Amino acid sequence: MSTIETDAEVATRLEFEQTQRSEGWKLLRGMLREQRRNLLLGAVIGISWAGFKTAVPQMTKNAINQGIEKDGPLLKWVLIIAGLGVLTGLLSGMRRYVAFRESRWAETLLRERLFAHLIGLNVGYHDKAQTGQLMSRASSDLMQIQGFIVMIPITLSNVIQIIAVTAILFYTDPVLALVALVPLPFVNISARRFSNRIHPASIAVQAEQAQLASVVEESVSGVRVIKGFGAEQVQFDKLRKEADDIFGETMKAAKIRSSFLPAIDVLPALGLVGVLGVGGHRVLNGQITIGDLVAFNVYLTLLIWPLRNIGMIVALGQRAAAALVRIHEVLSTESTIADPANPKQLPSVAIGATTLGAVKFDHVQFGYSPEQPVLSNFTIDIAGGESIAIVGATGSGKSTVARLLLRFYDTNSGHVFLDGVDVRKLKLRDLRQQIGVVFEDTVLFNDTVAHNIGFAKSTASQQDLERAAKLAGAHDFIGELPNGYETVIGERGFSLSGGQRQRIAIARAIIADPRVLVLDDATSAVDPSKEGEIREAMRTVMSGRTTIVIAHRPGTIALADRVVLLDGGTIAAIGTHEHLAATNTRYREVLASMDQPKKVAN
Amino acid sequence: MWGTAGGVTDEDRLSRAQARTIIGRVFKMAAPFRKTMYVGFACVIVTTCCALAAPVIVRHGIDAGIRAKNTQALNQSVVMYLAVVTLSYIFGRMLFLYVNRTGEMFLRVLRLAVFRQMQRQSMAFFDRNKAGVLVARMTADIESMAELVQFGLLQFLSAGLMLVFSIVVLLLLSWQLTLVAMCVMPIIVLASIKFQHDSNKAYLTVRERVGANLSALQEGITTVRVIQAYAQEQETKDKFFKSNRALFDSHERSVRISTWYFALVEFSGVFASALMIGIGGWLVHRGDVTLGTVVAFTLLISSLFDPVQQLSQLYNTVQSAGAALSKLFAILDAKPEVDEHPAAITLPTSGVLKVDNVSFTYATGEHPALNAVSISVAPGKKLALVGPTGAGKSTLAKLMARMYDPVSGTVSYGGVDLTMGSMDSLRQRIVVVPQEGFLFNGTIRDNLRIAKITATDAEIDAAVDAISATEHFAQFPDGLETEVRERGSRLSAGERQLVALARAALVDPAVLVLDEATSNLDPGTEAEVERALERLMSGRTVIVVAHRLSTVQRADHIAVIDAAQVAEYGTHAELIAKNGRYAALASAWQTSQLVTEQN
Repeated sequence: MSTIETDAEVATRLEFEQTQRSEGWKLLRGMLREQRRNLLLGAVIGISWAGFKTAVPQMTKNAINQGIEKDGPLLKWVLIIAGLGVLTGLLSGMRRYVAFRESRWAETLLRERLFAHLIGLNVGYHDKAQTGQLMSRASSDLMQIQGFIVMIPITLSNVIQIIAVTAILFYTDPVLALVALVPLPFVNISARRFSNRIHPASIAVQAEQAQLASVVEESVSGVRVIKGFGAEQVQFDKLRKEADDIFGETMKAAKIRSSFLPAIDVLPALGLVGVLGVGGHRVLNGQITIGDLVAFNVYLTLLIWPLRNIGMIVALGQRAAAALVRIHEVLSTESTIADPANPKQLPSVAIGATTLGAVKFDHVQFGYSPEQPVLSNFTIDIAGGESIAIVGATGSGKSTVARLLLRFYDTNSGHVFLDGVDVRKLKLRDLRQQIGVVFEDTVLFNDTVAHNIGFAKSTASQQDLERAAKLAGAHDFIGELPNGYETVIGERGFSLSGGQRQRIAIARAIIADPRVLVLDDATSAVDPSKEGEIREAMRTVMSGRTTIVIAHRPGTIALADRVVLLDGGTIAAIGTHEHLAATNTRYREVLASMDQPKKVAN
Repeated sequence: MWGTAGGVTDEDRLSRAQARTIIGRVFKMAAPFRKTMYVGFACVIVTTCCALAAPVIVRHGIDAGIRAKNTQALNQSVVMYLAVVTLSYIFGRMLFLYVNRTGEMFLRVLRLAVFRQMQRQSMAFFDRNKAGVLVARMTADIESMAELVQFGLLQFLSAGLMLVFSIVVLLLLSWQLTLVAMCVMPIIVLASIKFQHDSNKAYLTVRERVGANLSALQEGITTVRVIQAYAQEQETKDKFFKSNRALFDSHERSVRISTWYFALVEFSGVFASALMIGIGGWLVHRGDVTLGTVVAFTLLISSLFDPVQQLSQLYNTVQSAGAALSKLFAILDAKPEVDEHPAAITLPTSGVLKVDNVSFTYATGEHPALNAVSISVAPGKKLALVGPTGAGKSTLAKLMARMYDPVSGTVSYGGVDLTMGSMDSLRQRIVVVPQEGFLFNGTIRDNLRIAKITATDAEIDAAVDAISATEHFAQFPDGLETEVRERGSRLSAGERQLVALARAALVDPAVLVLDEATSNLDPGTEAEVERALERLMSGRTVIVVAHRLSTVQRADHIAVIDAAQVAEYGTHAELIAKNGRYAALASAWQTSQLVTEQN
């Protein structure tokens, strides 16, 4: 399906792409400027290498003409060639080293920039971005760029070599040079076209491989279903189709290889045939020496690799440019949530008799997209030390309340205050250090229990860790883990039950002794029989601390002083659980829907 | 060109005997396309000969043509040269096609054979092997051979041939100069061996650190909300930078290793031609060799050195492919534990499902999961299995559907031992509905048809109707034709469960084995799933692994499974009256319900 663009649209699009590309190259130039000294060194080494390398056939010619054909000093030339061997060897090694080291260094630094930038980007960005996409920015896109940078010093010396060799050939015998060089530009053209055509072909192969992998993956994970119904043949047919597709795509790639690679090999050989034919006759006619002829042969072989490489670098450059544009796009995205210019300090002593941790939402209006408001006119005053349960149906905006308090998002209008200070006037770090969060889906790091609990407080001592773990009811089971607090947990480590994970997350939330605790119902992902344990831990950590509980289960609501019923983004009712249960029908409905599984049990 | 070795760990290296067996099996598998393979080999031989012939022709041109001032001989050699070049082009094109075709055909056969054999395995095999490992066998392990197949095999053959042929040609041209060339050879050979060893080690480190770096990257991105919520951006960055710098260091070390190697290789090339010219020149003066021979030698010397380099670099690729192959052959050799008996008979259409004195162990040496269990379910009756986690209730259910065979004792249906029943009839009589509805890529209808490949659209519609889910699926944009997307991400857990139940309805079995979900479904579909289940169960024999009081109360009989045995058996009323384990369990269930309601 192709959409027809007007000329103006095409112009705008092209202009936009042009800007993007030039921004991408600017990024590359900036990177290279930082490493210019080493890159320059690489260039100098490369050029010297090219010079010495080009001198070898010249010396060979001298050796043959003077040392073998005549009775000249053979040993002198042999020694010179051997000496050049030492030099070119050393220089080619160094050229390689500098090129690779510098390209890896550029890649390393750029990856760090990307990571640092991504980690700092607002949650709204991450909610929309796909992990896989971001991963490929920092892995395969960077690889493209590294592959290009590594070629820079090498290409530079290749260009010099091509120029030097061509000059020598024309100086020795212009006619023969012409004969020898005619097929060579085609090497370059073929290499470039090959590179351009094989790239999409190999991407197609990879795509087919990914499809086969997904058939295998579903066949292994769904093995119970397949065996239960005897559906092996269905999956086998699917797999055969994918295997056939891979075969088809790889053969397409093979055809591309077969139509280019032998040609790239044969073109310089045609030059050599020409040199023997035309050159041979010119020696017979006495126009050049036999040494010249041999040197011509050697020179032509010297040109093959540089010409291929230059062909390749054009294609590599195009891919690197595309990768640079994509990376620039990420780097140029500004975080919409940032520290204020003149940050205020949080009061360290509470005003009046109340404890610290007063939270206030004042006429807050918010939606993830402007057309769909999630919260409207949301106003609530939570005193320091008070606990509030937020109750509401799915999509009523419960979790959004926590996100606004943490400044994951900013309100569209209205304000959020912590201890009387607008959260937008605070440094993000100052604000967030005062809020401990337990997310609905417990995220643990692939690291030790100690690191996971002490995450928010890198200075935490063993006593601090144990105190937090005890409060969260996690100390006992941690003691039973193979290495206690040093046990590695998370995806690739020791696997914990849902309830254990939750309690570690609770310990993490309270280790820094925050003023406010946000618990996005920690019991919802847990086996019903384990709910009690978690609730006990929650009760302990909530006492004396401002707590906002986003409740998904009725049992959790009982932990809070007051209950806020959210309905359609506004507060439908506020009060104690008993009061609401007695007076509010909507509240009873929401409770009932939460209670559903248990009701069935009656 | 950049010397990227395949990377092979020490435990992956194969012994000579293993390697021989593997090569033998590969050739056997390649039988169906042996002709293509031989044509490929022939092309390799022709192109290698062409490559070697060229310098010899140049020598002829110089000696017989130019130096002898014989125009005809010169022209002759030019024509010959042109012929050789043309030949090598034509055969070069064929070579790519035939060698790649051979390799890809082999990989295709391998993929199909391994997958088929994997599917024949019984559940125990899938318990033993992690899903990730099995997927890796079919993907990474086979793809690791693709590189070998596309480039390696070709290079390997031509490098080997080139090495042998060039020694022959050089000896024919001049044994004296061959001797000189052979003096430089050891430098290249030793350096190449050391390089492949060191670079392999360095490469393994790089690979490991790339993995660690990618995990750190992924962890950073996926946990960004936690990181920001706790204001730990700086600490996370520092940690990532450390892994990133470690990766750089390993790259740097790997480059350093190749630096001296490539320097030495370049030096050896130039040094060897210096030697050729020096000693060759002296030999020309003595009249032992001609100038043409010396020139041919300086051109041929690279065809002696290059193959050595290539072979040493390919060594690792070949080794790691060998390691991958030996893992794949292990799968091909695995015998399925639960298999159809050669004299299998069709199971009767109805009857008593009887477990008689059955013992079972998942792995030899482990504690028995079931110990001399006997129990039976009459046609149309419902049996609930309850008990603590890991006591053996799920195992018992699985044995009743022959997902495993008992170690001793028998499970029979209508008097026929399940191990004697045909697989087809077993699957028609007994259907297992797992805890979570699993979806395959495709439409909802494709997902239903999994249960009965021959089912017509009308039969599928009827099955959906049988569990009263027609209306629910009609809500989807394309009804049953709706694509479920990545693993059914479009469907809720309850809807996936409905699909699982409709599958069972499509088979219309006499016996249902249900594993009840432990966690709650979304409130919206929970009731619908309950209703569908109700309809599906009516009139069938049901064995249910139960987690909820409501389910248990509806069963005709209850078996409490504890410590691999049937601890109690009876009706709900009987067991409550007995005041034993079941009574305790039931009262615990009731209390948790009350607590919830009081809140």
